[in-house]
Amino acid sequence: MKYKLADLIKFFTLALLILSYSSSFSQEIPTDAASISAGEALFNGNCKSCHRVDKKLVGPALAGVQDRAPSIKWILEWVKNPAKVIASGDEYANKIYNEYNKSQMTAFTSYTDTQILSILAYVKAYKPEEPAAAPAAGAPAAGGAGISNDYLNVIIAGMILILVLMVVILGLIVSALKRFLNQKDLNEDDAEVVNSPYSVSSITRSSGFIFLVVFVVASIGFKQVIDGLYSIGVQQDYAPKQPIAFSHKLHAGAYEINCKYCHTGVLKGKQANIPSPNICMNCHTQIKQESPEIQKIYSAIGYDPKTASYTGKQKPIEWVRIHNLPDLAYFNHAQHVNVGGIECQTCHGPVQEMEVVRQYSLLTMGWCIDCHRKTDVNNKGNDYYNKLTELHKASKGKMKVEDIGGLECAKCHY
Amino acid sequence: MRGLSLILCAAVVIILASCKASGDYPGLEYAPNMYHSVAYEPLSQITDLDHGTFTNALDNGRGEFYNTNQYNPYKMNLRTPPAHVVRRNAHGWLPYRGTNDTTGLRMANKLVSPFKNDSTPAILAQGKAAYEMYCQHCHGAKAGGDGKVAQGVKIDGVEHGVYPGVANLKGDAYKNITEGHIFHVITYGKGLMGAHGSQVSEEDRWKIARYVKSLQKN
Repeated sequence: MKYKLADLIKFFTLALLILSYSSSFSQEIPTDAASISAGEALFNGNCKSCHRVDKKLVGPALAGVQDRAPSIKWILEWVKNPAKVIASGDEYANKIYNEYNKSQMTAFTSYTDTQILSILAYVKAYKPEEPAAAPAAGAPAAGGAGISNDYLNVIIAGMILILVLMVVILGLIVSALKRFLNQKDLNEDDAEVVNSPYSVSSITRSSGFIFLVVFVVASIGFKQVIDGLYSIGVQQDYAPKQPIAFSHKLHAGAYEINCKYCHTGVLKGKQANIPSPNICMNCHTQIKQESPEIQKIYSAIGYDPKTASYTGKQKPIEWVRIHNLPDLAYFNHAQHVNVGGIECQTCHGPVQEMEVVRQYSLLTMGWCIDCHRKTDVNNKGNDYYNKLTELHKASKGKMKVEDIGGLECAKCHY
Repeated sequence: MRGLSLILCAAVVIILASCKASGDYPGLEYAPNMYHSVAYEPLSQITDLDHGTFTNALDNGRGEFYNTNQYNPYKMNLRTPPAHVVRRNAHGWLPYRGTNDTTGLRMANKLVSPFKNDSTPAILAQGKAAYEMYCQHCHGAKAGGDGKVAQGVKIDGVEHGVYPGVANLKGDAYKNITEGHIFHVITYGKGLMGAHGSQVSEEDRWKIARYVKSLQKN
């Protein structure tokens, strides 16, 4: 009850204040540049998250609001306390309130009339930005390192094709000339030059040439076999198609959403966690409802975007596991990311650039050991390591993971 | 004869070279029964009863790699905790019991942070780390409501959506919110903001609240 009484008192004093204020100021929308720029600053700071001038967002587009609303005075009252205007039974206020799913605008009680009028001035003077002359699509990025790998491959392939064509054309010219010269009477020396003993067939049958070809083919084959044998049981580059085409490039790359926002287990436990769909729904209740991929989330969790309600019919999303460390080795994410302070990208590669995630690292024992030999122990601000750091001072060099038992068999195999 | 041996050689090369993983193919496994956990692992599940019978069959007649908990719904190895389970954290705190409604929010306004007046750099640094993890992509590095998600992005000339209604925490409407209010809103969400209680621990929520208040002062 105490809250209610206090709130009531606040409410009435506020109402009184608003009434006294609103009647004591002029209610013309200013047109001077100073007011407009002040209004722009206020608009960007406070209104922009829900309103745009020229398009509907959470709230209506504000363009023309000065003509649409019942009066300027009404707008002033509304901005300061929308709840009160709605409660007063005002027809227009209730119409908007119902039109926007009964979501109420935040009250900006601290605003003076001048401030609100300057925002209106900005809205009135607002001109939509000219669509800037967009740089031609597909143009290489500025700077020296602009040519992408794809372009380079195309250029090289084109050059090879041109070279092969030139060899063919030259061969044709040579044979044509030879035929032409043989029709004439030639002395012996000239005939020897024209009908050289080194023909294409004599070269291909020479033992040197055969050896060269066999050697090249055999060494390429040998390398492929060795590579193949070494990659048995190693799943590097495994990039399976997932049930929902989630793009890390968009979410982690462009939107800069932190890996740990979704993979919540990474600081706390062995597994980094595949995020549960409720994390998707933090945004996707609003964004891209119509996308077929998002519809898959909705059907998995039983969400009806039209009524924004849950049906209760649930069905797990069967993501395909990419990183499979063998059962014989133990790995803990928290130990490496939380205590060791290792970046996700160190092992998982540039996931923020991957449209489809692939296994970036080898995940072989040699790969683990290599890192344990090279990496310094992250002992800053961690009292656990105080004694070890003290003891290690005697020896030269920094304290590596191998110095604190990072190469012991039983650290990972037990 | 010579041609046959050549073809055989080529076949061996091709077969061995194709052990490598790529795309949907996970590559050849040499000793699969050492790779797949027989015990239940939370994020792995092999539902095929016969999977791995070529190496060995278990006593129950199932394949070697069958490691699926048939008693759980959808045969998942991971389950949601039973209802009414209460988890305490390292400080022994019980879960937040404020309700997800206007009364709850009004009560939360008066809540006092368990960190009391401790605004040491350590708490603020932890709050900053948590803020960067959970808040920054929408609310922006300086809490100006200008994170990438709120601004929208463009990839290869294609515009991607803007999340509407991201609060500018430095705006006048939010200047006077209390730490308890921030804590409550992170837990349950408000307006268009989703509930983040499942992701952000209670401790982190209070630290974020403290950090946001410090951002608002600058």
